[in-house]
Amino acid sequence: MLKYIGQRFLQFLLIIFIANSLTFLLPRIIPGDPIQEALTAKAATAGRANVDIQAWAATYNAKFGLDQPLWRQYINYWFDMFRLDFGYSLNDYPATVMSKIQAAIPWTLGFMSVAILLAFIVGSALGALLAWPNSPGWIQGMVPILMIISAIPFYLFGLALIWIFGVKWRLLPTGGAYDPTLILRWDWKTTANILQHAILPATALVLFGVGSWALSMRATMITILGEDYITFAQSKGLPDRDIFLRYGVRNALLPQVTGLAISFGLILGSGVLIESIFTYPGIGSLIYGAINSKDYFVINGTVAIMVLCAASALLIVDILYPLIDPRIRYDK
Amino acid sequence: MAVANNRWFKNTRVTPSLIFGILLITFIVLVGILGPMLIDVKMARVGAVKPNLAPSVESYFGTDSQGRDVFTTLIMAISPTLRVGVISGLVSVMLGLALGLLSGFFGGWPDAIIRTFSDVLMAVPTLAFTILVVSRMDRPNIIVVALIVGLLTWAGTARGIRSQVLTIRERSYTAVARANGESEVEVLFREVMPNLLPLMMASFIGAITAGIGVVMALEVLGLGNNVIPTLGMMIFWSQRFSSVLRGMWWWWSPPIVTIAAIFIGLFFLSWGLDRFINPNIPVNLGRRRRLLKAEQMKAAASAQSTLATTQQAPDSQQTGVLQVKNLKVVYETARGVVKAVDDVSFTLQPGERMGLIGESGSGKTTMVTALMRLTRPPAYIADGQVLLDGKDLFLISDEELRKLRLKDIALMPQAAMNSLNPVIRVRPQIKDGFRVHGIKLSDKALDEKVTEVLRKVGLRPEVANRFPHQLSGGMKQRVAMAIAISLSPKLIIADEPTSALDVVVQKQVMLTLSRLQQELNAAVLLIGHDMGLITQFADSIGVLYAGKLVERGRVADVLGNPLHPYTRLLIDSLPNLEGKKELFGIPGLPPELLHLPTGCAFHPRCPFAMERCRQEIPTIQSPTTGFDVSSTRAPGAPGSPKSAERRQVACHLYPQNSRLPEIKSVTTSMLTYATSENQQ
Repeated sequence: MLKYIGQRFLQFLLIIFIANSLTFLLPRIIPGDPIQEALTAKAATAGRANVDIQAWAATYNAKFGLDQPLWRQYINYWFDMFRLDFGYSLNDYPATVMSKIQAAIPWTLGFMSVAILLAFIVGSALGALLAWPNSPGWIQGMVPILMIISAIPFYLFGLALIWIFGVKWRLLPTGGAYDPTLILRWDWKTTANILQHAILPATALVLFGVGSWALSMRATMITILGEDYITFAQSKGLPDRDIFLRYGVRNALLPQVTGLAISFGLILGSGVLIESIFTYPGIGSLIYGAINSKDYFVINGTVAIMVLCAASALLIVDILYPLIDPRIRYDK
Repeated sequence: MAVANNRWFKNTRVTPSLIFGILLITFIVLVGILGPMLIDVKMARVGAVKPNLAPSVESYFGTDSQGRDVFTTLIMAISPTLRVGVISGLVSVMLGLALGLLSGFFGGWPDAIIRTFSDVLMAVPTLAFTILVVSRMDRPNIIVVALIVGLLTWAGTARGIRSQVLTIRERSYTAVARANGESEVEVLFREVMPNLLPLMMASFIGAITAGIGVVMALEVLGLGNNVIPTLGMMIFWSQRFSSVLRGMWWWWSPPIVTIAAIFIGLFFLSWGLDRFINPNIPVNLGRRRRLLKAEQMKAAASAQSTLATTQQAPDSQQTGVLQVKNLKVVYETARGVVKAVDDVSFTLQPGERMGLIGESGSGKTTMVTALMRLTRPPAYIADGQVLLDGKDLFLISDEELRKLRLKDIALMPQAAMNSLNPVIRVRPQIKDGFRVHGIKLSDKALDEKVTEVLRKVGLRPEVANRFPHQLSGGMKQRVAMAIAISLSPKLIIADEPTSALDVVVQKQVMLTLSRLQQELNAAVLLIGHDMGLITQFADSIGVLYAGKLVERGRVADVLGNPLHPYTRLLIDSLPNLEGKKELFGIPGLPPELLHLPTGCAFHPRCPFAMERCRQEIPTIQSPTTGFDVSSTRAPGAPGSPKSAERRQVACHLYPQNSRLPEIKSVTTSMLTYATSENQQ
């Protein structure tokens, strides 16, 4: 068991290593160093902060400048990576990249995890029901609808939702996480406001998510219902509901939950589009803004954090999976 | 009752999904390619027309804030969007194919490296990485973007191809090819790749979808090429100019609807393509199912009315504990209807051990599931009655049937490896049986019962706390046995309980079964293909061939004096430990149930076949009373008159003959008769 954890942890490190090395190499393959130019431009235009920025530009050049051999740049890069030091934001200097990320993460995590969880629960329940041959006809008729919903990327839903509920009917706010005029406090008013702003983006996400979770659960359930132990359970005279839950769903949940965990791993990345459309101040918006203002440090830092998050999630899945699947736990 | 007719079923794998997908995608592609030739492309340039106009007769979709005509821009944008998706899809699939082939075929180092990379790619958020690279490019070149996307998404395809290659490599036809001297590379191209075609097509469509998805996402975020309008760029610009908030719905909805249409079309295309190519997925069964169900309902209704007129005699002596009457079970396949169980009737007395012998494909397991009404599509019970102590199992309600299961009639499944729920321990799976049949005992008492029932099959009490995968094959079979006998049923149906076990364990399991049967005085229906094993255990046997019962009788009678040629050949093909003799099997192959021979199904392989055998199907009946059935028993032996009644055979040799003639050799002219006239 320890060997298993050890193996997975090594894999985790390997993933981080390769992914971050790619992050280092890829931009440098492209000719021209926009960071250099951006820094120089900034140094030239900044007013009072001129001295600080110049100091910063100098530090940057010392570490990553063109006169440094690539391998030394690489080592410096990793030193920074360990300390999670992604430098300063080009746009919001003197804010550090890390501070911006830290401000944005809670929003993304909070709203996305609720949406994903909701979509998973509703979708899986629906999917399981769809696979059961004895469920009523109207449920079966939902399959094509779900197929269509799952095929359409969710940000398209988002735009439509904003228009219907935000513009045409003016029921819900069209963007942001909370009212700009609101002062954030731990009270009911703030919470209500946040929830109100979260409804539309969450709906778009959940709609799409339900479709794909339902279809995948249905497929898994159909395979499981074809297994011998279902026939044997029926021959024992077990009632339908028992078989459906304890023999069917219980087995189908295993691969589904793995999928859920991976979803959570990619949670930071998936939010990019939905947040940009709804101007929700999470990681996604951060990267969106950074793209438009060419804030390379923020982009780099965000991507690194995304990779870290995804790799960690995979590691956690691998470690926790034996807890739910006894076949792996008790392997001699 | 007429069994479902071949004419109904379309021998096609084309589904509505496939047609819809093809139509939709073709339409969009045509619009994208032909459209620009039919319209005035200048209207898609910035500043070409007056901005912010709502849709009208002159401008179908209105104009946007940059002075472009939306309709024209839309038509122009389809082609670049599709193009970039196809390019990135191609790169992704080609790469995935190459790496998957390398990985699966050669194994070792290349495999390890490639797999590590694909695992890493799974952890990398594709979009984020693409953003990383593309954000540094001033004018992102579409080809470059497509390449990058392709480079990041090959992992899924490679993984799928790798596992397919591994499976195919181990299949017999590749071994044959190698044995024939083909080199590894030749094997790769001639044997492996053609079988990858279905997977490749599905992957290709998936890769195109992913490619379009990522590139569109990039464009919506503003990382697209600003000069060439694509659907994603249109959405981006509309966002930039706050078209939603300004109520300019005509600007953002057409591209969204078009993109949605593209994705939906691709989805249904891949769904339909999957079903078209993959022979394992049943298609177009809805209509057949409905039609067959209608027939079944009619049959049940007529059976019900006849039951009202006949007297139900729950007298075990008269009807036996199990009475099967004219059972017919059919399978619906894409190529037609298969009669897996064709008009089978037999009776089982209380406490009697009956063996049912048949080759693979003779309908044994189908019958077992039918007896307990566990038949699942594509198998359907087409006709017949199954009476348990006089009660027709096909006519009682689901709930009543459920109560009977395990309590009165229990199943000992074939290959118990897969018959136990893998995620639950053994104990609750045994307790299940007690619980659902209303046996209310305290937890402690139930635990004692579990221990007792395990002891009866020769297993230690600790087994109850294990998970199924921790037990050996023989142990799992015995757990299944324990469950089957736990409520002391009247009838146990053992479906090839030892087929998956080795010889030593087989003996143990059969001895256990024998002992249990005696203790419970239950009737046992033992199904299998091992004649030696079955005849050692059973009191009487039945022989199945091509779905029909061809012989029935007590074991001693049938072994000593087999009436049906097939039975005779089966017995003769068993090696004799007591002497040497020439071994010959049964020439020819069991018939394909879809294309049964005319007349008697066995006639192509029968050494005694006559012209009549080719034309007329023999019905199973008792041979005449002048016939000396109990030749191996003294007359007046207990139960002999009744046993004589129960001796049956389905063959045109009787009642004219009294026994089978000697078989000198099986290489008769009947063989040429068989191969030329009847093999299709």
